[in-house]
Amino acid sequence: MTTSEPGELLARRLAELVSAHPAVSRLDAGPWNAVATWIPGRRLVGVRVPDEPAAPVEVAVVLGLDRPLPEVVRELRAAIATLTPRPVDLTVADVDAPPQRARPAATAAVEIGP
Amino acid sequence: MTSSTPSPTIPAASTATTAAAGGVAGSPGRLAEDTAQGRTTIAASVVQKIAGIAAREISGVHSMGGGVSRAFGAIRERIPGGGAGASNIAGVQVEVGEKQAAVDLDIVVEYGASIVDLARAVRRNVITAVERMTGLEVIEVNIAVNDIHLPDDDDDVDAPAVPATPAPSRVE
Repeated sequence: MTTSEPGELLARRLAELVSAHPAVSRLDAGPWNAVATWIPGRRLVGVRVPDEPAAPVEVAVVLGLDRPLPEVVRELRAAIATLTPRPVDLTVADVDAPPQRARPAATAAVEIGP
Repeated sequence: MTSSTPSPTIPAASTATTAAAGGVAGSPGRLAEDTAQGRTTIAASVVQKIAGIAAREISGVHSMGGGVSRAFGAIRERIPGGGAGASNIAGVQVEVGEKQAAVDLDIVVEYGASIVDLARAVRRNVITAVERMTGLEVIEVNIAVNDIHLPDDDDDVDAPAVPATPAPSRVE
């Protein structure tokens, strides 16, 4: 009952698949920490497969900022579609800011002279 | 209906697609391809970060945030875990809808930069970045210039405040 449960198996495989994508920094629990699956031993964060077969699967990710998000979302949806025919609610919960681009204002402060 | 769970009361799901169309039909304004395959949600903090980074990329922007939010930002950066990226979102407020976003910025400019030109450059860069990165249409970017940073006051001594000249009101 535990390991062979289809929803749980799908959740595991979704988590593996999604976090393997190069643009995905990590999975995230979503806005209210609601996107998660409890499996024996741990809590699988970022994937939720509702019991109702018609309800959409929920996936929440943190993406990198080096590519436009819609592009990445399209790729993720295409990848997920190979695993399940169910609709997918995809949440971009956060982005990882590239550290080198967040600082230029600080260095430019010195250069603008009187 | 728009936020989290579509109604689980869909009996006798014949195929996944028809059930999905029924499941999210209540949320207005979804993109057409989203209704069949599920929703895509971009969190407000994502838009906030992108807008903050884009604004800082303009070199006449010294820092962001009003006095209060700058103070909170400095505190937040010292809280472990709570402050990751807090410097990116100081001075940025956003409203994110299904397809559109509005951005409000509080910035501190460098002395010597033309504030009107600077505001225009900031606005253009923020719109480009947010629209390109998120696919959301940016309907407005309101910029409030809270302060001006003089080259000689290194330790953030308050310079004479400049009224928020280039900030367009919503009822222009």
